[in-house]
Amino acid sequence: MTTVTVRGLSKRYGSLTALEAVDLEIGVGVTGLLGPNGAGKSTLLRCLATALGPDSGSIRVHGFDPAVPAQRTEVRRRIGYLPQNPGLYPNFTTYDLLDYVAVLKEMTDTRQRRAEVRRVLDEVELTDRAKTKVRKLSGGMRQRLGLAQALLGDPDLVILDEPTVGLDPEQRMLFRALISRIGERRTVLLSTHQTEDVGALCERVVVMSGGRVVFEGNPRELAGVADGQVWLSGNPPEGSAAYWRNADGLYRVIGQRPEGAEAARPSIEDGYLMLLGRATIAEVAR
Amino acid sequence: MSEWHVDPGLLQQYEQGVLNPSRVMAVEAHMSACATCRGRVPVDITWLTGNWSVVFDSIHAPQAGPVQRLLARVGLPEHRFRLLTATPALRWSWLIATLSVGALAVIAAWLAAAGETGGASRLFLVLAPVLPVVAVSGAYGSGVDPMHEITGTTPSAGPALVLWRAVAVIGAATALAGVAGLLLPGPGWYAAAWLLPALLLCTGTLALATVWSLQAAAVALGGLWLTGVCWVLGDRSEVFIPFVFGPIAQFVYLAAAAAAVAVLIRRRRHFDLGESR
Amino acid sequence: MPPVSEQSSDADLLRAIADGQTAALRLLHHRHAGWLRARLRRRCADVDVVDAAIQDTFVAVWGDARRYEERHADAAAWLWTIAVRRMVSALRGPAHRWLSGDSGDLPDIATTPSAEELVLLGVEHGALGPALDRLSPELRHLIEATALDGLTVREAAKLLGIPEGTAKTRLMRARIRLRELLT
Repeated sequence: MTTVTVRGLSKRYGSLTALEAVDLEIGVGVTGLLGPNGAGKSTLLRCLATALGPDSGSIRVHGFDPAVPAQRTEVRRRIGYLPQNPGLYPNFTTYDLLDYVAVLKEMTDTRQRRAEVRRVLDEVELTDRAKTKVRKLSGGMRQRLGLAQALLGDPDLVILDEPTVGLDPEQRMLFRALISRIGERRTVLLSTHQTEDVGALCERVVVMSGGRVVFEGNPRELAGVADGQVWLSGNPPEGSAAYWRNADGLYRVIGQRPEGAEAARPSIEDGYLMLLGRATIAEVAR
Repeated sequence: MSEWHVDPGLLQQYEQGVLNPSRVMAVEAHMSACATCRGRVPVDITWLTGNWSVVFDSIHAPQAGPVQRLLARVGLPEHRFRLLTATPALRWSWLIATLSVGALAVIAAWLAAAGETGGASRLFLVLAPVLPVVAVSGAYGSGVDPMHEITGTTPSAGPALVLWRAVAVIGAATALAGVAGLLLPGPGWYAAAWLLPALLLCTGTLALATVWSLQAAAVALGGLWLTGVCWVLGDRSEVFIPFVFGPIAQFVYLAAAAAAVAVLIRRRRHFDLGESR
Repeated sequence: MPPVSEQSSDADLLRAIADGQTAALRLLHHRHAGWLRARLRRRCADVDVVDAAIQDTFVAVWGDARRYEERHADAAAWLWTIAVRRMVSALRGPAHRWLSGDSGDLPDIATTPSAEELVLLGVEHGALGPALDRLSPELRHLIEATALDGLTVREAAKLLGIPEGTAKTRLMRARIRLRELLT
C-alpha cells in the first residue's frame, strides 16, 4: 500500500537547486534514502514532514495534501519526524520532553498522554532513564529519545533524518534493531550516507544525487547496478578512477576490466559508487 | 523459622480466607520475616503493571506549581498551560520582561524621589511600550527555539500556536507594566497613555514577523520606536508628551494597530513552517 | 553504583533507589507489591484504598529511600509499616488529615520485630495458637493490629473504626484474657 506519493517536487534556495522534479512512491516497511551530502535528502524529508513548503510539485500523505493548510494538519497527525538536529531541550528530563511533545501532538487527556509516554519510553528502552536530563544522556540514548518523540501517537509514517550519524557500532546495532521493529507495520523513511545501514535494514532504497532520484529499488538491485563492473586485480589499474586496496592486498576496481583481473561480486556500496559516478558525469554534461 | 515455611496449600487457604485466625497470624508473621514465602504469593501481572504505572507516573510527571493551580482554577487546562510555558526561550522572555519592568519601576521611582517627576514619567512612557515587544520576541521561531522543527511539524503548530504564545507573553508583560504605571507620579492618564503604542508595536511586530523572523521584526520596530521618540525628545522636548502621546497621536496608533491586525490576519499562514514562500 | 537485577538484595535496591535508579524501584515494587496487597486486603475490603496505599508506599520510598539506609531495618517490615500506615490514613479520609499528626512521614522507629511478634512466629507449634483462636474477634483484631501490624493504638482504632478509648480498654482486656488462656 502506498503511504506517500511525490510528483514533480522541486525546491530552490536562491540559485541553488535542492530538489528537481522528484517522483516517488513509498509504502509500508523501511525505505532508505541514500546520497552524498547536498544531494537533497534532507530537503525532501523536510518537505514530506511539512517543515518546508516546496516551490512546485505535489505531495500526498495518505491522500492528504500538505500544501492545503487544513489538510496539512491531517498530515501532521499521521507523521513522526526526527530532524537532523532535533535540538532537544537539554534541561528537560526524558519524561518531560516526551510529555511536552505529546501535548503538541494533541494528547489533551492527561492519563492517556502519560500512558502513551510510558509506551514509547518502553519501545525505545529508555524507561529507566525517564528521570534523566537530556544533557546527561549519551549520544545513543539521545537519538533513541529523538526516535521516541517521533513515535508518540503511533504515526503511520516515521521520517528520520540521518538517525545513525555519530553512533558507535554498538549503539548503531541497537538503533537498527529498533528501526526494523518499527518498520514492521509502519512506513519508515530514513536518510543516510552509510551503505551499511541500507544493507542492514532497508527493504527499499532510493538513491539521490544533485536533487534528483537516480535509483529506486531493493538493496540487491542496487548492488546489481555494478554487475560485471567490479574486478579484483593484483596490480593497480591504469586509467580507472575508482579503485582501492582491500585487506587481502588486492585492488578492487570499479569500471573497465584491468589486465588479468578477476570478476568480483558487487556490493551495495559498489552499486552506489557506480551510480554516483554516472550522476556526476551526467551533471557535468548538463 | 528456617524449619517451617508456608506451603502452597496453606497459602491458598490464607488467600481464600478460610484459615483459623491464629494460623493467619502465623502466616503473616512468618511472611514478614521470610523472603521465600513472600515470593510464593501469586501476583496478577496485569494488576502489577497497572499499579506500577501509577507509581511511575507520580514520580516522573511534572508537578503542578502554584501558578498552574491558580490558572487551572480559572479554567486553563493543564495541557494548554504546558503549551504556553514549556519552551526554555519562552521562560527567558517571561523573565526578561519581568526584570525589565522591575528595573524600570526602580529607576522611575529613583528619578521621582530626586525631584525629576517629569523625567520619571517620560522614561516610563518611552520604554513601557517596548517591553511587551521584548517579551514576544522569545515566543516563537527557529532562533529562540532549538526544537522549532519538531514543534513546527506537530498538529498543534501553525498560526494558532504562535498567537496563543504571543498573547500569553504580551498579556503578562502588559499587566506588569500596567502595575508599574499606576505607581508612577504625574497625571493619572499617563498610566494608560502607553497602552496604544504598545498595542501597535506588538501587532506590528507580529505582522512583520510574517515576512521576517519574530526577532528581526521585534528589533526593527522596537528600534524604530526608540529612535523616533528620542528624536522628538531631543528636538522638540517642550511638546514631547502632547506630540507623542496626545489624542491625535493615540488615534494614529490605534488606526495603525488595526491595519497591522488586518495584515496579520491576512498573512497568518506564513507562521507555518510548511508554507511555500 | 553497580546496575541492579532481579538477584539484587532489598538493601542494594534501596541504595540504588536513593541514587535515583527507576529500575531499582520497579524491581522492589514487583518483588513486594504482591504480598503487601494480599496482606492489606485482609484488613480492608476497599480494593481502591489498598491499591492506592501500595502506590503511595513506593512513591514515598522513591522520595525518601535514604531514610532506610540509616536505620538498617528489615526492608520488608519497613515497607509493610509504611503501607499499612498509608492505608490507615486513607481510611480517615482527607477531611481528618490533621488527626494523623506526623504519620504522613515515613516511620522513624527501627522496625525490628517486637517481642510479641517473635512469640507469634512460634504460634504454629505452641499454645499461643489455640489461645488466640479462642479470643473473641474484636479483641483479637486489636492484638493483630498492634502486635502484628505495628500500628499504634490510635491507628489501630482508626483501622477498626472504633473510638480510641474503646481500643485502649479492649487491648487491655485482650492481654488479660490471653494471659488467662495461656495459664
